[in-house]
Amino acid sequence: MNPLAVQIAGVALESPLVLASGVLGTTSASLRRVAQAGAGAVTTKSCSLAARAGHPAPCVLPWPGGLINAVGLSNPGVEGELEELAEYRRTCATPLFVSIFAGSADEFGQLARRVAAAKPDLIEVNVSCPNVESEFGTPFAADPEACGRVVREVKENAGGVPVSIKLSAQCASLARMAVVCRQNGADAVTAINTVGPGMWIDVGTGRPALSNKVGGVSGPAILPIAVRAVYEIRKAVDLPIIGTGGVSSADDALQLIMAGADAVGVGSGVYAGGVELFGEINRGLAAFLKERGFDSLAQVKGLAEREGRP
Amino acid sequence: MNLVLPSHAIRSLPIQQVATHSAELKSILFEQTFAAEPGQFVMLWIPGLDEKPFSVSDVRDGKIEITAKAVGPFSRALMECRPGDRLGLRGPFGRGFRPRGRGLVVGGGMGIAPLRYLVHRIERDRASFRVALGARTAAEMMFIGDFSKCGAEFATDDGTLGKQCLVTGLAARLCVEEAFDVIYGCGPEPMLVALKKLADERGIDCQLSLERHMKCGIGVCGSCCVDGSGICICREGPVLDRAELDRVADFGRPHRDATGARKGLVPEPPTTN
Ligand SMILES: Cc1cc2nc3c(=O)[nH]c(=O)nc-3n(C[C@H](O)[C@H](O)[C@H](O)COP(=O)(O)OP(=O)(O)OC[C@H]3O[C@@H](n4cnc5c(N)ncnc54)[C@H](O)[C@@H]3O)c2cc1C
Ligand SMILES: Cc1cc2nc3c(=O)[nH]c(=O)nc-3n(C[C@H](O)[C@H](O)[C@H](O)COP(=O)(O)O)c2cc1C
Ligand code: FES
Repeated sequence: MNPLAVQIAGVALESPLVLASGVLGTTSASLRRVAQAGAGAVTTKSCSLAARAGHPAPCVLPWPGGLINAVGLSNPGVEGELEELAEYRRTCATPLFVSIFAGSADEFGQLARRVAAAKPDLIEVNVSCPNVESEFGTPFAADPEACGRVVREVKENAGGVPVSIKLSAQCASLARMAVVCRQNGADAVTAINTVGPGMWIDVGTGRPALSNKVGGVSGPAILPIAVRAVYEIRKAVDLPIIGTGGVSSADDALQLIMAGADAVGVGSGVYAGGVELFGEINRGLAAFLKERGFDSLAQVKGLAEREGRP
Repeated sequence: MNLVLPSHAIRSLPIQQVATHSAELKSILFEQTFAAEPGQFVMLWIPGLDEKPFSVSDVRDGKIEITAKAVGPFSRALMECRPGDRLGLRGPFGRGFRPRGRGLVVGGGMGIAPLRYLVHRIERDRASFRVALGARTAAEMMFIGDFSKCGAEFATDDGTLGKQCLVTGLAARLCVEEAFDVIYGCGPEPMLVALKKLADERGIDCQLSLERHMKCGIGVCGSCCVDGSGICICREGPVLDRAELDRVADFGRPHRDATGARKGLVPEPPTTN
């Protein structure tokens, strides 16, 4: 038996590592590449009904704590996206998660219907991206009622494809958001999206370096926030959790699993580690299980909440 | 795991020097704050406008140089920059040329920029090489003085410099006359496709520098990934070898714009075809 095998909402993954949305996964070829590098599933860059070019560069910048980005949700639109999905399906068997975002619950429903036709293994609903605050995103992620409407609308249109809601750490109560997601039919939650927004100023010119001025913070700096978020959600609901944020080593992934995650998203880590990071973390996880005498990751999941001596 | 390079963080530097080749073609020099190999590139930021990739065209006397041609809004704004203006610079990015054996250096149009640095490196290593360069017209040929010193052959569309033919014609002839271990190339993609074919026919390696739409430069955003293998041009390129090029499904074909959608290739000037 593969000790790294996990299940997310009925989808069997060979590894708990899931490529996080928006990192490399813009085309079928780049998704396939990450799958071949050892991801258990790959998530596409969030797509919308119409194409978007996103913000001008600089839109992704590294800093000593990780990355700050305001890509601006560029994507070829659902039409182009469907071509990529079909090509991926033809050429790669690794489970495919499709991320969607929209400006209204109704639009979310339309998008869900379109992408469900491509038979992805899961639809991830991006309600939490802080980059386009004024336009989309934040209203749903921070507003339980609006978020509930989106979940219902997507579930109704998803034709049986499991649905995960991607939450932001920045809301009044993550526990409440998770409960709302479950009550409205979500099959899983993904947590967390980028944190912030933050700002990076070039001191030579005194100007914010991102063209959008502000952007979401990700990478090592946000790992402790992601771990806390997963822990809080795990205490509130029994939904599968794709714990995401700041993972760049097997120990980081284990922290999220011990906090209660079923699978682990990896995004910004590929900056320092390359796509090879997926294989590296897989090997690290397998070595940990072997060394500590565990047969599966399920035995490690949620350890943080267990009582007694370790 | 690689370490995060401090020079990858964005940082503005004052321009030290501007070398004007023509109103449309300039070299911009900065204090050298990081090492760069021939074929590697930097992301250059004009605050308030945009940030775009530019090859390192030379590193000398503690200065790092890029050479740009005015083709659109960003590069036209670059032509207006003066010494003392602060531009953002981060890098070095990608994998450059890996000089080995006897090389044939082939450049077309703006693709000539990184090749002068490559030639300086090959000369330093005392390896033997030949150079063939093409442009539309003599006025658009870069670094003629530098390249003439090393016996470069020139081709122009209008015959104003060197032979009136395509640079790939020069390259093919040189390959018949002399034996090379590797062809180095940078220029319009149709020219690169022809060089790849030449290398295949001669059974020698090639190292060709590709361009794809870039946003991050650090292998994260996915906008520069080629079809087929999914190779990330900003990180594993821009210089790919023959085996890697065989796994680029969109080599010489339409590639992607800022949205990630496939677009038509911009028609290239006939010279360098
Ligand atoms: C690895 C690499 C090295 C380069 N080196 C040089 C160089 O040494 N000298 C030089 O003059 N030019 C170089 N370029 C091209 C340079 O980036 C473009 O000329 C510049 O971005 C044009 O911007 P613009 O606003 O002036 O023109 P636009 O009208 O915006 O674009 C003109 C053309 O430039 C290219 N381009 C535009 N934006 C980008 C982008 N974000 N990423 C990649 N290509 C883009 C496209 O082919 C486009 O059709 C390089 C490109 C790459 C990818
Ligand atoms: C460049 C970049 C682009 C991103 N784009 C998206 C996106 O389109 N949709 C989305 O839901 N999350 C997006 N994210 C957020 C990531 O999926 C992830 O939730 C977050 O970065 C935290 O994980 P990490 O620290 O492993 O990157 C993006 C992150 C980065 C760095
Ligand atoms: S430019 Fe972002 S991955 Fe290459």
